[in-house]
Parts: sequence; structure tokens; C-alpha cells
Amino acid sequence: MSGRRSRPRQSSGTTRISEDQINDLVIKLQQLLPELGDSHRSDKVSAARVLQDTCNYIRNLHREVDDISERLSELLANSDTAQAALIRSLLTQ
Amino acid sequence: MASADKPINTDVPEKDVFALHFLQSLSNLRRQNAFNSPDDTTNNRVKKIKKAAYVSMARAAGGTNRLWSRALLRRAAKENNKVVIFSRRKKRVTWLRRSNRRDPVDAERLRNLLPGGGAMETSKLMEETAHYIKCLSMQVKVMQCLVDGLSAK
Repeated sequence: MSGRRSRPRQSSGTTRISEDQINDLVIKLQQLLPELGDSHRSDKVSAARVLQDTCNYIRNLHREVDDISERLSELLANSDTAQAALIRSLLTQ
Repeated sequence: MASADKPINTDVPEKDVFALHFLQSLSNLRRQNAFNSPDDTTNNRVKKIKKAAYVSMARAAGGTNRLWSRALLRRAAKENNKVVIFSRRKKRVTWLRRSNRRDPVDAERLRNLLPGGGAMETSKLMEETAHYIKCLSMQVKVMQCLVDGLSAK
């Protein structure tokens, strides 16, 4: 196979993804994540919008992890009875 | 390849799997006296808890089966100066990154947010993103339960 060493611009098509294929994938992403919002069920929703919403969702989740970690840090540092409360709270879920 | 209709599996383990892993990480931290040492600043404590959260999530949800969890665990091990050995899978070559530049800007942003996203194919990126978001939501729920349980006296 010649041209293996050069940058594979003309590869078998697996690395070059067309607009349609991206749209298909994004629609699939939308189906996999219904929590992104049911208001986007319409057909006209663009791939860019879904991707944007996904990015925002991930950023929000990261921020939530930050906030919760801070509160956990305060709570766990306070006393040793926190250990018992820890176990207790998770056993009563 | 892109038109293959394989069913994508983005199932996520039950909540208690996440809880168990997170508890284990927390108790490890406690054993290292991360919570009681007076010279440890609050920021360090928060950072340790955050790291424990991400690592335990990666272990609970994906282990070595998911690209994002592998990237997370690898990153965490690098911070600890540990050597991580993963079983050799099909290695994603770096030139893949260059050909992915044809993606729209938003896909690029998504790549930056997802651990290990820079080297994934676009189709894999979508699947990994969905799984990552589900696991992250579960982890947040577990941590919130913990906070509620600890603060309700």
C-alpha cells in the first residue's frame, strides 16, 4: 500500500466524516440523552445546538461536582462522628 | 463504517456501585488523615475529595472499558507519579487528531470537555459523551445523598 507514510488524506473514508454523518451521530446522542431537554424534539434542531447543550450540561455537572466537593470537605472535616454518619446515611438510602 | 447500526450500549451501573466506590475512596482518604491534619488547607482537602470522586466514578462505571475512564485514571495516576499499565488495545494514533479538525467548533469544545476526547473518532466521541454524562449524573446524585445525610442531624 503506497502512501502509508504520507498523511492519509485519501484514506478509505473512515476518517473523513461528512456533515450528514455528523448530524446522524448527533441525533443519536440526543436519543441517548433524553435529559438534555424534551423541548428539542423537533426535527429542526441543529447539530450545533445539541452539541452546545451537551457542552453546557457537562460544564454544569463539573461545577456541581466542585460545589458538592466543597460542602463535603466542610462536613467531613468537622468531627469524627462524621464517619458514623457517613455509613448511616448511605445505608438508609 | 459510519452507517453501521450497531446498538450502542451506554448502560450505567446501579447507584450503589458508585456509592461503594466513592465510600472506599473516602475511607482511604480518612486513613491517610486527610481530614484531620491542621496544616492541610481547605483547598487541598477539596481537591482530594474531588479527585476521589472522579477516580471512584471512573472505576465504578468504566474501569478500563471506556476511553474516558481510562483517560481519567491515567491522568490521576500521573499526578501520583504512578506507572499505569493498560492492556494493549488498538492504539489511537495521533494523526487522528489532525483529521478531526474538520469537525465543527462545538465538537471541538466537546472534545476538550471529555477526558481523553482529543484522540477519539467523532462517532466514538458521541457514545463516550453519553456514557460520561450518565455516570457523572449518577456520581453527583450519590455525592448529594451523602451531603444530605451528613448535614441532616
